[in-house]
Amino acid sequence: MTRPGFEDRSLLLHATLDGELDAAGVIEMERFLAADPELAAEYARLKALRETIRAKAPRERASDSLRLRVMEIAEGGEPPRREAKTAPWRGPPSWLSFAAAMAATVVATLGLQHLIASSNAPDAALQAIVSAHMRSQISGQPVDVVSTDRHTVKPWLAGKLPVAADVVDLAEAGFPLAGGRIDIVAGAAVPTLVYKRRDHLISVTELRADKGDGASVQRDLAVEGYPVVRWFDGERAYVAVSDLSPTELDAFVAAFRRAVAKERGGGAGGESVK
Amino acid sequence: MRPASDDEGQDHGHALTAKRWIVTSETGRRNFAEHVLPHLDDAYSLARWLCGDATDAEDIVQDACVRALRALESGAPVERPRAWLLAIVRNAAYSWLGKNRPRAIILAGGAEEAEAHADALETGASPSPEAALIETADRAMVAAAIDGLPLAFRETLVMREINGLSYRDISEATGAPIGTVMSRLARARALLVQKLGTAP
Repeated sequence: MTRPGFEDRSLLLHATLDGELDAAGVIEMERFLAADPELAAEYARLKALRETIRAKAPRERASDSLRLRVMEIAEGGEPPRREAKTAPWRGPPSWLSFAAAMAATVVATLGLQHLIASSNAPDAALQAIVSAHMRSQISGQPVDVVSTDRHTVKPWLAGKLPVAADVVDLAEAGFPLAGGRIDIVAGAAVPTLVYKRRDHLISVTELRADKGDGASVQRDLAVEGYPVVRWFDGERAYVAVSDLSPTELDAFVAAFRRAVAKERGGGAGGESVK
Repeated sequence: MRPASDDEGQDHGHALTAKRWIVTSETGRRNFAEHVLPHLDDAYSLARWLCGDATDAEDIVQDACVRALRALESGAPVERPRAWLLAIVRNAAYSWLGKNRPRAIILAGGAEEAEAHADALETGASPSPEAALIETADRAMVAAAIDGLPLAFRETLVMREINGLSYRDISEATGAPIGTVMSRLARARALLVQKLGTAP
């Protein structure tokens, strides 16, 4: 300290600014300020800092989806999937099911190798994919690797899985990448990519299909109330699950397929989902 | 195949059940609505500044709300709801940081060192910037400057300037004595003044 007493007076200066001094303290401080230009300059800087913070870093508002999720906790913490069972994007949902819908993610699972192995397997695989999606949301850990950079996510997945997953950048289409995770579908570890759309998350899982099934698409699937889109591109299969409206999910799938087709050099899959 | 995936799902289901499904009483719900919901913006803002990411902040707030509801259900008295909730948010954020950003916690442990550094700044040779210069900082600069503060300073500053807590509330929320709150606040502001006042 260059001047004795400066430290104490500096703290008092802050206390003045913060309205923490009593009247006697304020009067004393005003005397200090009048007598010490340096102290007065410091006070001016602190006031300027406060104004700047108030104007440029204001208190942020909790999103509606967060608000609803929190209200849902108070209602006994019913998990989103219970309310989401009946297509929450249609009809007049109660605020609870709306909350569940807001909290939900889009999960697209790619490569349903086991899904097509037997007649009831598709349902089991879809169920597992949707469950993984719901779990990722409730646990607050939608991704194992957090990155908006596909060049980070892709090698991470490649280091953990036998097959290389397609990781595409959809930020320009309005679906920025949030990260990736490993899901277990029918006993196999599969890559899931997570994208964002406003407050919603979109998870896309890639699986290897046994046989090429052209570019067929199954839309209007719903599991546990989440819309699901499944499609095949050559030897891969994909599933997307979401609380987004089916229309938005379709838009996502279309963007994803276009990007994947481009990534592979203009192969199949560039067409729109429609 | 199928049983494997079912088991997997159930295991997680149980974990989630334990974490999330809380039996709520009428009183608990009323207290929650009274003590927690009005301060959600504060909770979110604090979490946002502590973890640095909007999505993560929502998860932290959600976790904090579960903890808060549990505490309310156990009948704990709440005298200063906002400070009480922000203390819970802070704990939830530290848990999150411990798991996801362990380095941030380690750095927080070095707060005293950082305080020494701040001392050097305060008495340092660089000329004190003009107040007017500070006011020209844009949002990104202000955010970067706050983000750059050591954790202990950042939380104190955010609680004071953004949440608007009193020294006493901050002391309660952080568990630090009021004198420490005051000195951390002074250090935090000195660092910000220096940074914003000398930015290009």
